[in-house]
This record gives sequence, structure tokens and C-alpha cells, in this order.
Amino acid sequence: MTAANETDCHAIAMRLYEYLDREMTREDEAAVRAHLADCRGCVSLFNFEGAYLKFLSARANARNAPDHLRKRIFEQLLCNEDESASA
Amino acid sequence: MRVKRGPTKDELRGAFEAEALPQLDAVYRVALRLSGNEAQADDLTQETMLRAFRAWHQFKSGTNVRAWLLTILRNTFINEYRRTRRAGVSVEVSDVEEFSVFSDVQDADPEGDFFNRIVDDEVLRAIDSLPDEFREAVVLSDIEDLSYAEIAKVLDVPIGTVKSRLFRARQALQRQLYEYALEMGYIKGEPR
Repeated sequence: MTAANETDCHAIAMRLYEYLDREMTREDEAAVRAHLADCRGCVSLFNFEGAYLKFLSARANARNAPDHLRKRIFEQLLCNEDESASA
Repeated sequence: MRVKRGPTKDELRGAFEAEALPQLDAVYRVALRLSGNEAQADDLTQETMLRAFRAWHQFKSGTNVRAWLLTILRNTFINEYRRTRRAGVSVEVSDVEEFSVFSDVQDADPEGDFFNRIVDDEVLRAIDSLPDEFREAVVLSDIEDLSYAEIAKVLDVPIGTVKSRLFRARQALQRQLYEYALEMGYIKGEPR
């Protein structure tokens, strides 16, 4: 690996989440994709980080508001009808 | 000439019920992660929905209602609930060779299979233990799936700040989950 190439790897790794989150401009995304086509090391890193993000969103999203709270909020909104909107 | 009238109370209320109330679960999840306990999450969620209802006439139709509600939630939390900011160690990411757990596991588990052995509660515990700035970033992106622009709006910081916080937050969380996996024997290796 040449020194220039290592610099590329570093710069690209620093932006890996932008790429995986699909938050890059089309040009930047194309540049990353071009680098990945030539660099196995970065592909492995990106695959690993992609698996990590997938795992995170699958594990962390489970819980919903409990029924007693939902009920409390609905009742409160009903009671609040008179003082709402104009406040 | 006809006077243009604003929406009636019933219309506002109907719109609130149709647009804001379906976001209750999202508001609750973030409240739970911000406050760290169920009783406070209940109160914080209720307070947020009430404030949102009262301010509903200020909501711009067509913009992201979830981001709007989460902004109210966060402000309510900061102003009324947060006693002390949780500080924590930040992660320096100057050297690419060191930043990802990938460099530790590339031989043993390059695909990161060990992650899948970690249970939900442990993931949430690890998120809860992050410093405030990191926790917020991870919760808004990886639990609530907001875009960088939406996160920037909720946190009231530039997008560049969102990027760097999210990067460091995810790295810190990853390191913590890896160390847990080592401890549990889900993967072999030496903690750093």
C-alpha cells in the first residue's frame, strides 16, 4: 500500500458513517465507492461497521409508551380543550 | 371582503390527534433514554405532549412533526429535569488504525457476529452510560432514525457537530459493547 493510499483510507474511514447513513453528496459518495472498489481493507471495515449499525437499530428500538401513559395523555388533552390553541 | 379565519379549536385538535399523537411512542422512547427512569419518562412525555398541544398552532404543517416534538422534549428535559450533566470520556479518533473495534476483531470475527449475542437490555444500558452529548446523538439517529439535518435541528447545533458527535458516540458505544462481549466470552481477545 502506498503512502497516498493510506491517507485516502484514513480520510474515507473518518466519513464511513456519513456513507453508511446515506448522508453524502452524490459526488462524495461516488468517490467513496470508487475507493472501495480498489481497497479490500476498507471494504472489510465498512462491512463490519454496517453490521454494527444494523445491529444497533434492531436492538434499540423495541419499546413503546405504556398504556397507562397513553390513557393519561388522552384524558389530559380532553380536559385541556378550553385553554388550548389560543394560548 | 371576507376575513380569513384561522383554524378552529376543533380543527387544531383534530390535526394534533392525527399528526402528533402517533409520535407518542417515539417521544416516550427518547424520554426514557434521556431521563434514565420510567417514572420520569412518563412525566416528561406527558409534559412534552401537553406543551406541544398548546403550541400546536405554531407547528408548520408539512415539516417533520417528530423532530418538532423531540425538540420540545429535549428543551423540557434540559430546563426542568436535568440536574447535572453526565460527563464522560470522549474518544479521540486521530488514528484510523485504532479507532474501530474492527482492528481488534478482524481475524477472529471480521463480520461482527459477536454483536448479535448481546441482548437488548445490555445495549440500552450501554447507551444510557454514554455522556449526554453522545447519548442524544445515538438515540436520535439509531433509535429514532432521524436524518443529520433533523438531529441538528433538535440539538440546535451545526450539521458538522452532529457528524463528529455521532462518529465519536458510535465508536465509544462500540468499544463498550465489545468489552462487554469479551467479558461474557462472546468473543476471545484482550481488552485494551
